[in-house]
Amino acid sequence: MSLFAYSLVIFILATAVATVLFRDVLSVIIVFGAYSLGMAILYTFLLAPDVAMTEAAIGAGVTTLLLLLTIARTTRPTTDALRERIHVPAVVVVGAFVLLLCTAVLPDMYPVGSTSTPVWSNPDVTQHYITETYEQTGVENAVTSVLAAYRGFDTFGEAVVVFAAGVSTLLVLKREVFA
Amino acid sequence: MSDYDDTYTESQVIMTAVKIIAPFTLTYGLFMTFHGGDAPGGGFQGGTIVGVTVLMLAFAFGIEPTRQWLKNSVLTGLVAGGVVIFGAIGLGMIALGGDFLEFTMLKEVFHIKPKWGLEAVEIAGISLIVSGVIISLFFTMAAGFSPERPSGTGGISSADNAAEGPDSPVAEVGDDD
Repeated sequence: MSLFAYSLVIFILATAVATVLFRDVLSVIIVFGAYSLGMAILYTFLLAPDVAMTEAAIGAGVTTLLLLLTIARTTRPTTDALRERIHVPAVVVVGAFVLLLCTAVLPDMYPVGSTSTPVWSNPDVTQHYITETYEQTGVENAVTSVLAAYRGFDTFGEAVVVFAAGVSTLLVLKREVFA
Repeated sequence: MSDYDDTYTESQVIMTAVKIIAPFTLTYGLFMTFHGGDAPGGGFQGGTIVGVTVLMLAFAFGIEPTRQWLKNSVLTGLVAGGVVIFGAIGLGMIALGGDFLEFTMLKEVFHIKPKWGLEAVEIAGISLIVSGVIISLFFTMAAGFSPERPSGTGGISSADNAAEGPDSPVAEVGDDD
């Protein structure tokens, strides 16, 4: 990983911690938007542009707007304190747990791009989509072909889930019209 | 609803910025939707960006004018129509003799690439649903929760609600004016 990627990870961790620590709700929403943007850039760096676009559009864009709208429609508690009070025993316990997980799990993780990762351990399956996609579907983006052709039925269910999300918002807010 | 628009501040900076950016985001969203097959992106991402364009307009020029400009039937048509079109394309493949959403039937029957079935699902199905739901989520959340409506009551009262349904948007528009 390059220096850029490391500084990006540090930026993401810093914004994540800041999201937890800030007392003011508006500041939290803004910092959370920055966190999502950092994640989007990291996904691009990890060669997952489709995921990066979704994260940038949904995470940094729509979620920030909806959260801003929510505090505009509800109350925003005024406070002089800059950050939340830190509950030290909880931080110690959670921190120790995370540290334990890191020491247990991280050494076993494969380097980015390594050919010994489990993804490559079943090349009959993974290579099938990469080599056959253009032949079978005529689409150059293998992600789209898996999404809409090979796993089309799953995507149909996914689209219906989005539809259900819109309808259930109406139910929860007891409204009958979208606009 | 009389305290509705006190969340809106008319800002010259935001309005000018949105006027400049909106055509580009709309074009980018449509490009992403239509180019999902050969470039990163697709219906989900493109639909979101098209929806966000409307959200930006609502933030810059006020939610209520945007709501009046955008009819409920348009949003309902987008959301429900997308699901229906997606399902219809899937069933169409059964009609051609294949399985649900089996686009290889396009090749066997019409001798065209399965790509066009895939693109049809992305453009006419997913992107419509996603853009419609993003816009609807925004407007329903902006309208907020009205506690005077009875909750958890089935049967007769829900039928009453359905009966007064067509009147309620008209009444709301009147209030906000």
